Amino acid sequence: METGFDAGRPVRVSSFNGIDIFVVNTDKFKTSSIHFFFQDNLTKENATKNALLPAVMRRGSRAYPTLRDISMELESLYGASFDCGVTKKGERHVIHFYTEFLSKQYVPDGTDTFAEALALLFDIIARPALADGRFSGEYLAQEKENLKIRIEGRVNDKMSYSVDRCMEEMCRNEPFEIYDYGSVEDLAGITADELTAHYRTMIETFPMQVYLVGSITDKEAEEVSGLLSGLPRRNTITLRDSFSRKEKAEVRHVTETMNVTQGKLCLGCRTNTAPGSDEYPALMVYNGILGGGIHSKLFRNVREKASLAYYCYSMLEKFKGLMVISSGIDIGNRQRALDIINEQLDDMAKGNISDYEMEATVKNMETGIKSLTDSQINIVDFYLSQTISGTDDDFVTIMEKIRKVTKDDVKAAAQRIVPDTVYFLTAADSTGKQ
Amino acid sequence: MDFRKIEYEKAGEVLYSYDHPSGLKAFVIPRRGYSKKYAAFATNYGSIDNEFIIPGETNATRVPDGIAHFLEHKLFEQKDGNVMEKFSMLGSNPNAYTSFNKTVYLFSCTDRFDENFRLLLDYVQNPYITQESVENEKGIIGQEILMYQDNPDWKVHFNLLKALYEKHPVRIDIAGTIDSISMINRETLYMCYNTFYHPSNMIILAVGDVDPESVFGMVECAIPHSKPQPPVKRLYPEESAAVHRDYIEERLAVSIPMFQMGYKGSFYGEKGIELLMYETAVKLVLELLAGRSSQLYEQLYGEGLINSSFGTDVSVEKQYAFSILGGESPDPLKVKERFLSALEDAKKDGLDRPACERLIRAYRGRFMRQFNSVERISHSFITVYFKGVSMFDYLDVYDKITFEYVNEVLHDHFRPESLAMSVIRPV
Repeated sequence: METGFDAGRPVRVSSFNGIDIFVVNTDKFKTSSIHFFFQDNLTKENATKNALLPAVMRRGSRAYPTLRDISMELESLYGASFDCGVTKKGERHVIHFYTEFLSKQYVPDGTDTFAEALALLFDIIARPALADGRFSGEYLAQEKENLKIRIEGRVNDKMSYSVDRCMEEMCRNEPFEIYDYGSVEDLAGITADELTAHYRTMIETFPMQVYLVGSITDKEAEEVSGLLSGLPRRNTITLRDSFSRKEKAEVRHVTETMNVTQGKLCLGCRTNTAPGSDEYPALMVYNGILGGGIHSKLFRNVREKASLAYYCYSMLEKFKGLMVISSGIDIGNRQRALDIINEQLDDMAKGNISDYEMEATVKNMETGIKSLTDSQINIVDFYLSQTISGTDDDFVTIMEKIRKVTKDDVKAAAQRIVPDTVYFLTAADSTGKQ
Repeated sequence: MDFRKIEYEKAGEVLYSYDHPSGLKAFVIPRRGYSKKYAAFATNYGSIDNEFIIPGETNATRVPDGIAHFLEHKLFEQKDGNVMEKFSMLGSNPNAYTSFNKTVYLFSCTDRFDENFRLLLDYVQNPYITQESVENEKGIIGQEILMYQDNPDWKVHFNLLKALYEKHPVRIDIAGTIDSISMINRETLYMCYNTFYHPSNMIILAVGDVDPESVFGMVECAIPHSKPQPPVKRLYPEESAAVHRDYIEERLAVSIPMFQMGYKGSFYGEKGIELLMYETAVKLVLELLAGRSSQLYEQLYGEGLINSSFGTDVSVEKQYAFSILGGESPDPLKVKERFLSALEDAKKDGLDRPACERLIRAYRGRFMRQFNSVERISHSFITVYFKGVSMFDYLDVYDKITFEYVNEVLHDHFRPESLAMSVIRPV
């Protein structure tokens, strides 16, 4: 067992009506935070509405009817923060509302920051500003426009855009191809009545996880349970798993053109390793050796040796079972970079892994996992991800599993990897330019 | 060994400091209960230091743009291979960054702090640069430069600086250009290293659950007890108070126009504490006029002229100062017009006193919150230190800043002739 290191496992303090409340009690932070998550299955029908909902809700509640009222309250609360949004985790769509505020012991005038921040957050969630029983037409219209800008704005960050597009191309005709923020087509027709009905669906039927992090007393946790037990909950929906296999594939090549200077090359693969399986830790180590940092094969060969790129890494999409290798290169170097990347994949499948690569990877993963415990949002995200993948690891057990992984396990994980899609974002004039 | 302990009761923080005979200063900010241990070795040398007089010489030396950043990349190279591998074997994450006025080498680890720390002290003091590796690096940095060329947030910001400044090197991209880095060679890198990496131009900071005495002991042993070097004379061109150009527009592959408008600051004091005071006042004015709790923000947001990407920023250094408002907008010029009209109203009627007090309260909380993160502590400490003050002085600033001073800065900083705007439009 680890000593001097807190596994940080949250305590589930109550569970009712499809709501689970967890507490992570620690006094090492100067702030505390409250997180509410609502989970839905990722579907075309709901995705855009799920994205639009928090955007409209953050505009105002009954007690704080405008954005300005909310901002003033946050400033008065010693610069507390509040935000909300959506992300997809595999084929789950997660709506997140949170507030972070200075813990009581650091507040000079004794303000009960927990009570005030909770009151604000709960008001935004449970008592939205409605007119005639529905969301304001004005707020709706503005946030539809803002969401449209956001969806269209995907192209602005070429690095994340290229990775997302690669995964979407891999998952055509699967729910995972749906963008976190939905689509412009689906957005146009959403009415105030529909969105209000969808709000009720979320409040009543989406499974809910609540995390309280920081210096949290029993009484405060009870306050939260008390408030949430007043929500009109019924018929909580059943969430499905995301993971899928694809053990054979002919590699597809997708090229997209844009007015860019640098090309973005992505290679998407299926991992065929389920997040809850005994083999998953070996896949994590595999990814670390291949492209998880400065000791990795991709960094050393594509960047340091061939001098082709500033960045080249691989990342896992745990829930769906995907891996993407991503790099920014000179447009003319596409084939050379791809050849070097493929050589690294072959090397891994042959089990050509040095002691240095193995050791450095495992150590770096340990450091990474321990470091998660220094950030409230990282702690929450780690444990929320556990509930989504149906696993029950904490920071200590996951490290123990990683340490037990052998080179043979990594080789086996490598042999389950199936390259699926090569995505290249390039200039319209493909000769490249400087 | 001698070191000092300073307690900041209001923040619940302690700062340990140690003066090395060479002139180097070392600091520790403890974080009990944290897993991550973090250390930084920083030199007061950044991208704007491209012309200087080497101590002992009389003539000025001009070096290629981007050399401070290039040197940062090359320091990882050591006689026995790349130092990153050694850090990897210790399970830590080394990194480095170069800004306008500093270069920072750092690592974060959770175990074996002492070994990591000694390695940091060792490699930063022992460059091993070969011409072959310099050539190799040009490919990597070339791709880094091209990556930023496609980054509209970066572009809109540097275009604003190019508009604000005519000659000052703050207008030049930190990494330089493909052309300027092509002129860098082994000799110029060593010359810059020898000029700016003397211990008396550097500081060391450790943050985390570490023992100050042991950290300072390692610093004492690892740094040669040489005499402090006289300060390097840095030459910056004279800049007028007026902007170089009032508008720059460029087209890129973006979905909606992006903009930054900004004011160029002129005289605002020389002492570090004056810089913090001025910075805080400019920040307050920006937020009072256009922050999230302002009437203007609410109106512009309601009219769809701005969205949640809209924000403000201030940078105040001894050499230059600027303030920025920016974000995405379907009509950036309209946002500018509306801001200017709110500014005129404020100049006539004065600012909102209760709102100012509320914001200062928020700044206190935000200041405290940064102590949650070892990275943010380190970044903030080093940035403020090179201005000649300590980050803890912000607490004093929040106590002492007056509404009258903020009103004064409103009139002094936000002048029509010091305003420029940068816009990126879709292709």
